Amino acid sequence: MALLSVRNLHARVGDKDILKGIDLEVGAGEVHAIMGPNGSGKSTLASVLAGRDAYEVTKGEVLLDGKPLLELAPEARAAEGVFLAFQYPVEIPGVGNLHFLRTALNAQRRVKGLEELDAMDFLQMAKEKSKLVQLDAAFMNRSVNEGFSGGEKKRNEIFQMAVLEPRLAILDETDSGLDIDALRTVAGGVNGLRSPQRAMVVITHYQRLLDYIVPDKVHVMAGGRIIRSGGRELALELEEKGYGWLGLQDGKGAATKGGEARR
Amino acid sequence: MTPGLTRYVDVASRFQARDTATTPAWLQRVRQEGLAHFARLGLPTTRDEAWKYTNLAPIADGAFVPSATAGSTAELAAVVARLALPGPRLVFVDGRLSPELSSVAGLPRGLTLKPLRDALVEDGAFLEAELGQRALAAEHAFTALNAALLEDGAVLRLAPGALSEVPVQLVFLTRGDAPVLASPRILVVAGEGSEATLVETYASATGGGSGQGFTNAVTEVTLGDNASLKHYRLQAEGDAAVHVGGLHVRQGRDSRFVSHTFAFGGVLARNEVHVTFAGEGGDATLNGLYVGRGTQHLDQRTALDHAVPRCTSRELYKGVLDDRARGTFHGLVKVRQDAQRTDSRQQNRNLLLSEHAQADTRPQLEILADDVKCAHGAVVGRLDAQALFYLRSRGIPRAEAERLLTYAFARELVDAVPEGPVRASVEGLLAPKLPGAPRTEVTA
Repeated sequence: MALLSVRNLHARVGDKDILKGIDLEVGAGEVHAIMGPNGSGKSTLASVLAGRDAYEVTKGEVLLDGKPLLELAPEARAAEGVFLAFQYPVEIPGVGNLHFLRTALNAQRRVKGLEELDAMDFLQMAKEKSKLVQLDAAFMNRSVNEGFSGGEKKRNEIFQMAVLEPRLAILDETDSGLDIDALRTVAGGVNGLRSPQRAMVVITHYQRLLDYIVPDKVHVMAGGRIIRSGGRELALELEEKGYGWLGLQDGKGAATKGGEARR
Repeated sequence: MTPGLTRYVDVASRFQARDTATTPAWLQRVRQEGLAHFARLGLPTTRDEAWKYTNLAPIADGAFVPSATAGSTAELAAVVARLALPGPRLVFVDGRLSPELSSVAGLPRGLTLKPLRDALVEDGAFLEAELGQRALAAEHAFTALNAALLEDGAVLRLAPGALSEVPVQLVFLTRGDAPVLASPRILVVAGEGSEATLVETYASATGGGSGQGFTNAVTEVTLGDNASLKHYRLQAEGDAAVHVGGLHVRQGRDSRFVSHTFAFGGVLARNEVHVTFAGEGGDATLNGLYVGRGTQHLDQRTALDHAVPRCTSRELYKGVLDDRARGTFHGLVKVRQDAQRTDSRQQNRNLLLSEHAQADTRPQLEILADDVKCAHGAVVGRLDAQALFYLRSRGIPRAEAERLLTYAFARELVDAVPEGPVRASVEGLLAPKLPGAPRTEVTA
């Protein structure tokens, strides 16, 4: 059984249909990349999986370990093991990063019937995990994402993922806005979290990220559908030929941009 | 006269008719003038510009009378122990001094803290000269009513250069078993270069019970040149109490004044802060946090009078309103023609947690000088949907996420309290209003 099954998923915002029938199966231990031009519906898919209520699912179903996901509130999905690394992590002044994360972890542990971690035990664990993305202790004590640079925000997302140990991690354009050093750090963190028990869906506009997080499968989205799936070579081909190769328009013309960073 | 006004006038007349033989003539005159002004001004109504948002029916319809005695019970002692800060304090119960619960031990050198009723006898000439200088009975009905019933309260005097590390605390408890009218008057006179912290704590004596009662408090502060006062008003009576508080401050040259108003209690509470800059180089910071739920009506009024050049004022008031609570903010900054190089900033932000909560905000600038820096802003909003989703996406249930974000909004004003014991006291009084607020955080 696949860890994540998305079947004929349709979703819209207001009366605008954005997802028009997504089918996707991701097995435990697998990393799937979803690529596609702007407006193809990649980020909508991520938001719908995490439960953002701006989107209305009109058809289809999503199963996590065989259990229907879409009827659950976002916090219940998180407790089931869904984690979304945000494209634009939200700044929350006045909520301490560590307090937030401990509250989140303990809320998930309560749902699972596990004992809550006290502040000291949590702190020790968090310090250990923060090394994965080289997040300085100073950031852990600040308000959530407040005044963080783009790179710091993305590292903070991966740090949260390391602490929460999700079953399914969805990375929504985690590479956007990162310079090459930050990208390497973030990708290193993600690779450190690859595990036979975990599935990852890596959404990106650029092939560049996939040089560092090597996917098992690549899907190309356009117009709210997956129009092509393949192995890693699909991403390389896409980079070489551009989205135009698939008959797609891309505002940024960006698929080839990543090539500059390739080694 | 309205029936409400007649009742208060009768109450004050009866009060003034007692002990006329032993009351000094000057004090009789202050009380009589207070009563005359009160009868003339009458109880404000929503037709009065300054009371536009606040219906005073709970005051007009109440049958409040002054209490005879304070009393001291084990229960009261326990409440005081919970609210007390380290340092000297005077305790009042239903507006009357409780010597047994008070303690002025550890008063730093250069500070004099006296119950008003003692000072009225012992320091007549001083009080005659100082009382009613900052809070004008002729202009404010509740100040006039307070003057008409003048008896209890406190006098804090700072000798020039006197420095106090520990806060001086005044605790006002409302027992709530009878409709008591408490009229405390607090007088602070700070000599040149002196520094102190004064905390006024208003709370229910039944520890969180509803507790009826009407507290009409007036605080007058005169800061000498280069003097510094930090003033805290922790207004946290039970949800049935009525509170009107007026803080009136005159700042001398280069003086510094910081006011923190925490308005958490009462079915109706009005907290006023009036500051006049009388000498150049003065600096005033007015902070306020009001947190209402149920049918609470919390009314904040501030007035900063930049009467002279080169003074700085900073003002931040935040409101959190749930259920059917209503919060109002009316902040006036007046910059007179001579007050060049005034630097003033005012902010009022309100967070509404329910469909039926309401906030009225009215920042008001009156600028007659031309070389000034003045900014103001006002916001009424709800919890940020993006932030709420972010927290929930990590597994935090909606209600808990809402509490986290609500406390995050309010805490700026709690964190602005530098003294640990005072901050802990604020957190303790806030906790029942904002459940789930973190009290202490372990840091990396």
